[in-house]
Amino acid sequence: MGYINAIIILAGINIIAALGVAILTGYTGLFSIGHAGFMALGGYFSAILVKEFGVHFVPALLAGGLFAGLTSFIIGYPAFRSRLRGDYFAIATLGFSEAIRLILNNTREIGFIKTGAAFGYMNIPGHTNLWVVIGAVVLAIYFAHMFVTSQYGKNCIAIGQDEVAAQMMGVDLLKTKLLALFISAFYAGVAGGLLGFYFAYLSPSFFTITKSSDLLAAVVFGGIQSLIGPVVTAFILIAVPEVLRALAEWRLIIYGFLFVVVMIYRPQGLFGYVEMNLHFARAWWQRLRRPVAER
Amino acid sequence: MTASNEILSLRNLTVDFGGVRAVNDVSLSLQRGEMVALIGPNGAGKTTIFNLITSAVQPTAGEILLNGKSILRKSPDQICRLGISRTFQNIRLFPQMTAYENVELGLHSTPHYSLAEAFVRTPRARQIENDTRKKALELLEMVNLQEYAHARAASLPYGLQRRLEIARAMATSPQLLLLDEPAAGMNEDECNELIELIRKIHQQMQYTIIIIEHHMAVVMELCRDSRIYVLNLGSLLAVGSPQEIQNNPDVIRAYLGERKNARDFSAS
Repeated sequence: MGYINAIIILAGINIIAALGVAILTGYTGLFSIGHAGFMALGGYFSAILVKEFGVHFVPALLAGGLFAGLTSFIIGYPAFRSRLRGDYFAIATLGFSEAIRLILNNTREIGFIKTGAAFGYMNIPGHTNLWVVIGAVVLAIYFAHMFVTSQYGKNCIAIGQDEVAAQMMGVDLLKTKLLALFISAFYAGVAGGLLGFYFAYLSPSFFTITKSSDLLAAVVFGGIQSLIGPVVTAFILIAVPEVLRALAEWRLIIYGFLFVVVMIYRPQGLFGYVEMNLHFARAWWQRLRRPVAER
Repeated sequence: MTASNEILSLRNLTVDFGGVRAVNDVSLSLQRGEMVALIGPNGAGKTTIFNLITSAVQPTAGEILLNGKSILRKSPDQICRLGISRTFQNIRLFPQMTAYENVELGLHSTPHYSLAEAFVRTPRARQIENDTRKKALELLEMVNLQEYAHARAASLPYGLQRRLEIARAMATSPQLLLLDEPAAGMNEDECNELIELIRKIHQQMQYTIIIIEHHMAVVMELCRDSRIYVLNLGSLLAVGSPQEIQNNPDVIRAYLGERKNARDFSAS
């Protein structure tokens, strides 16, 4: 039971971070391979608040998210001002997150706070349990859904589909992109916080490019402009390797193969453009009820 | 005509792309409520002028005034909020959105409620969304696309995509509407429908309209009471009523080489 709990908790944390990437990459069309950096920032910040300053862990999680969101402007503002897009923006985020990781890797202490450099930040109170994670996932999905269906979210979608046309129709590119990046980094920050409170320690080695690319994989694999897609794949990408322990060394090869297959047969991702809503569920239900011959 | 009635004024606009002078010393003045056309052979700089007005391209020299105020060095989205909207020569709809969502975007490109209201969707926000929805459907009805409201934009036939672009441009409630080859690739019947549509929105919405078009029949019909600007190799070649333009020897030379018969030109 504890083992299954652990998988669900880790998958839930992965889902929250992947939702953040979905808002930025899936909806706004900005590729990030640096969300591990935002997870690290949020994780360390909220862990420090709880351990050193005795803050309750829920406000600490939110503060961690806020901190990650605010630091995202450091990379976002110059990148969007100079109109970095596509691969170039992705590389910028990668550089940012690697810089964060290396700084943490070499910082033994910040003032009186012993962050432990490469050994990791130890003895964080263990607040994360199954129910906390399930609650956080439900809220994360709900607010992500609210955002992407709002006028703000639709402006993000427009940027993702045709940036030039969106701007000509009056969308403020800089503001809208910064907003998407902020929310996306907030999600990653909260996920990082939950991770710290689960393992009771944080190490810079959690937040490598592999973590970032796993998150991006969940979104590209799960589907562009979809929330349900990344949720499903973020879960699968954590759960399946656990189930198939024996194949652990083959993991990356299997990933690569699956990506090629998805890119060829479903370039928009498994659930691309499928919104999580009742229309979709209703259509499915009706399709299931119809006799097979008519389908 | 008083100066205060002037909505748009281009003064000695010049733009160089590297060594190529795409637009050379072009001046143009538009009164509120006018509909004028910009014609000229391919590569004459017509679309570049639209790009200059919408600030997608910055001029090398010259001035652009909207309602008497310079709009140089503003970003395209600011220009849009100032009341200039456009369509594109090579259609640029949001392909994966429905027709309805495309129009709706023009209505809320500056969101009408706060971010906090977006996350909890207050009754006020829902009310605003309902109003926006109604307005978007009205605009679709205006261009006769109501039955395609929930079709994906990319799946619409070409002619309907052109009309959808017009509806989306109208959604930003512009004063000045720039139509870049709205009749491109249309047959005669479709052209006639389009003429009717443009005339209808011109009268009902009281837009000022500049239209770039290669279909001479469309241009002559739409601008029969106003002016046509002819552009060639970046410079203004002639300005005048459809009759004057059809009989202008320079224009005929630019379009047809040395052939003299103006009637051939008007029929093309």
